[in-house]
Amino acid sequence: MANVVLSGNTSGAITIASPAVAGTNTLTLPATTGTLLTTTGDGSGLTDIAKLSTASGSAPSYSARAWVTFTGTGTVSIRASGNVSSITDNGTGDYTVNFTTAMSDADFSTLWMAQPTISNAGADTFAISPSTTDVTVRHWENNSPRDGDYCCVVVFR
Amino acid sequence: MNKRIVYTTDDGTVAVIVPAESVELALKDVPTGKEYHIVDVADIPTDRTFRDAWIWE
Repeated sequence: MANVVLSGNTSGAITIASPAVAGTNTLTLPATTGTLLTTTGDGSGLTDIAKLSTASGSAPSYSARAWVTFTGTGTVSIRASGNVSSITDNGTGDYTVNFTTAMSDADFSTLWMAQPTISNAGADTFAISPSTTDVTVRHWENNSPRDGDYCCVVVFR
Repeated sequence: MNKRIVYTTDDGTVAVIVPAESVELALKDVPTGKEYHIVDVADIPTDRTFRDAWIWE
């Protein structure tokens, strides 16, 4: 086992240590200019994934696994999306978001917002029937299903 | 995306799939065994007043 030690211009050093197990592991640096990885303090939060470059504090950061913004009235259409193959217009105020790449399980969190079309009073949005391949979202106003105008769905896991 | 995929649901209403990138990719979102039709977006009514009463003819 051998270590590579990088000594700074002042006190302290960075040590790249090989694991105490058999086998060859390779650390490949990117060919482009830039910082591959940065950390602060004890590096907490970097155990499983790299922290987002804009994140502050030591709490771990999680990226969206799927997202979509769409128009839910008139001609229903997708404005932009990520990991979404399509949305299904099931009926008034009823849409299913279909994932391009399936989730690992159905225990994801769905954030869903819709701009009311007739009244802010009694507006309600909720998600139902999550599965690894899709989630259905609904929008109601005044105790009745209503189409949302500016609609957004984000999935975290 | 100016194409839509239309199929009749189990309760007799019409579901309209809006592809994000391509119709080919979105075809996987048609429930297994359902007969579907690929139509132009212009063929889908924009007046949704009676959306839940739509049927495929």
